[in-house]
Amino acid sequence: MKFLMLIFKNLRRNMVRSLLTSAGIMVLVFVITLIWSILGFLDMATSEKAANFKGIVTEKWSIPSQLPFSYAATLEDGAAREESDVKPMDSMTWQFFIGSVDKTNIGFSTFIFAFCMEPKKLLTMMDELDSLQPGPRATLDTAIKAMEGNRQGIIVGQKRLAAIEKKVGDKIKVFGINYRDIELECEIVGTFPPGRYDNNTCINRDYLNASLDAFKAAKGRPHPLAEKTLNLVWVKVPTKDAFSKMSNQIDSSPMFAAPPVKIETASSGVSNFLAAYKDLLMILRYLLAPAIIITLTVVISNAISISVRERRKEMAVLKVIGFQPNQIILLVLGEAILLGVVAGAISSIGTYYFVNRVIGGIPFQIAFFSSFPVLDGALWWGAAIGFITSFAGSILPALSTRSIKVVDVFSKVA
Amino acid sequence: MTEKPIVRVSHVSRYFKRGSERVNVLNDLDLNVPEGQFLALMGPSGSGKTTLLNLIAGLDTPSEGEIWVGDRCVSTMNESQLARWRNEHVGFVFQFYHLLPVLSAYENVELPLLLLPLSAKKRREQAMTALELVGLEDRNSHLPSQLSGGQQQRVGIARAIVTDPTLIVADEPTGDLDAKSAHEILDLLGTLQRSLNKTILMVTHDLRAARRADRIQHLDKGRLVDQPDESLYEAG
Ligand SMILES: Nc1ncnc2c1ncn2[C@@H]1O[C@H](COP(=O)(O)OP(=O)(O)O)[C@@H](O)[C@H]1O
Ligand SMILES: [Mg+2]
Repeated sequence: MKFLMLIFKNLRRNMVRSLLTSAGIMVLVFVITLIWSILGFLDMATSEKAANFKGIVTEKWSIPSQLPFSYAATLEDGAAREESDVKPMDSMTWQFFIGSVDKTNIGFSTFIFAFCMEPKKLLTMMDELDSLQPGPRATLDTAIKAMEGNRQGIIVGQKRLAAIEKKVGDKIKVFGINYRDIELECEIVGTFPPGRYDNNTCINRDYLNASLDAFKAAKGRPHPLAEKTLNLVWVKVPTKDAFSKMSNQIDSSPMFAAPPVKIETASSGVSNFLAAYKDLLMILRYLLAPAIIITLTVVISNAISISVRERRKEMAVLKVIGFQPNQIILLVLGEAILLGVVAGAISSIGTYYFVNRVIGGIPFQIAFFSSFPVLDGALWWGAAIGFITSFAGSILPALSTRSIKVVDVFSKVA
Repeated sequence: MTEKPIVRVSHVSRYFKRGSERVNVLNDLDLNVPEGQFLALMGPSGSGKTTLLNLIAGLDTPSEGEIWVGDRCVSTMNESQLARWRNEHVGFVFQFYHLLPVLSAYENVELPLLLLPLSAKKRREQAMTALELVGLEDRNSHLPSQLSGGQQQRVGIARAIVTDPTLIVADEPTGDLDAKSAHEILDLLGTLQRSLNKTILMVTHDLRAARRADRIQHLDKGRLVDQPDESLYEAG
């Protein structure tokens, strides 16, 4: 565009003012980039969990957690004893079975890592599988029905299936690694949708438990892990209150004396901790961030108003020479927007690279977070903030040039 | 003066509202200017010289009457049409030069061409030709602040002629210059008129400046008079 040169020259005219205005934009965009990154990151860390509030019950003092399966029923009830006690909305037990499809050769192409669980819980308690699109959900549901009809049926992730060179419908033997001398004879009835569970396997918990019973019947003694098969219990609760009530129920239950158990959740931990910072975060989000945007608009508006007022005569000359009123308006808007977009983009993109690449995150201690990355959005939002605020700040001064009369240019006083 | 007039002002009046009062600045005024003529408009301060020049140059619209320049009726055009017409057909020379301070002499001269559908090469040719005509081709990269008043006015004249306009209007073009520079500017206008056959309308209250023109018209009480009271200008 031919007028770009004119816009550049006008910005260069008052270098000091242009630089000060840019510096103001950069500082404010820098601050808002930090605020939005922290808020955005905390949102991501808590949002999924706030909508899907799960607790994990594990052995209290020991890692790995190994509980007797006799705990399962009580824990799935949230250790509720009284009528008024809280029960989970849903629950799920996990027993890990690590095995190999080849008894002697254990490696990448034979390895199996399986959750032994109630098949139907796949659709209600597993992250991501609980929110599938209708198509994949129906496919998975068909496999679950097959597992329920045949307790030796298993679901294998697609990458794992490829690694062991099997397909749906094949029958395989899985030799226990953690469960020594337990051999499961399985039939592959389906796979997981691609993604998070590509390398996992799901086995019906009834089949594992029955295999351990069969071991005892055959050998005349229980399997060494017989009382240690339950690794985790997941419970879903509606609210934080319900969660803490259930936590009390579990802590005070006489059922779980040896070994003792604990309930916790990363997401509730985040949310609970952040509750203490609620006011601070509200102020950042609803007061500081908007105030910065408004300040930015005012800074730009002020600079552009002054620059327009200084140049009314020049703009009258441009009109005399033949510039249309709209072209003058565009020149003013162009100056403001060029300044705003360039300064805003430099600031937020610079912040992104500096914080993420050089200092490795925004050091800001809140709850158990101590460092925040600048979000990818910063690559564009500086330019967007610059555009919006410079447009908002310059539209009135720009429109005010319409009142500049061409006849003024010949008036006595220059 | 047998040629067809290029500027025709007929029965033009212009009045302004000042509060509830109506001030008649021009009253039923007629003026014809033939193509290629250098006309000086004189008159006491406040007599309406600038008002008349503004009307002819399409910066203002008459309250009554018609103004034609070439084959265009200027008095009925709207603001946007006037802007486009001025760009192509009128060159303006101002008392205070009114160059854009951020642009070089060359860029100031090129400015009116930016509004026309011309290639960068064509613009460059035309702007450099205009600068040569005023004798400032070697100063093309100077900023206005690096030029003398007379040189700035010559850049102003180059900007006025760069679109090869039908008409050049100048309001007190020498009013802010010393006698020597004023003399040079008037020489330049005379040269342009003769060599390029430009029609020039110049407002001045300096009789010596006016005498450089082909014809002098005097404005008094809203009308043109041929024989003025010369004593009005004796100070010169
Ligand atoms: N826009 C306007 N509004 C009101 N009065 C005006 C306007 N323009 C000019 N005038 C008046 O018209 C008269 C002539 O002005 P002008 O044409 O500038 O005179 P000159 O150029 O001959 O000195 C003056 O009295 C001036 O005050
Ligand atoms: Mg005047």
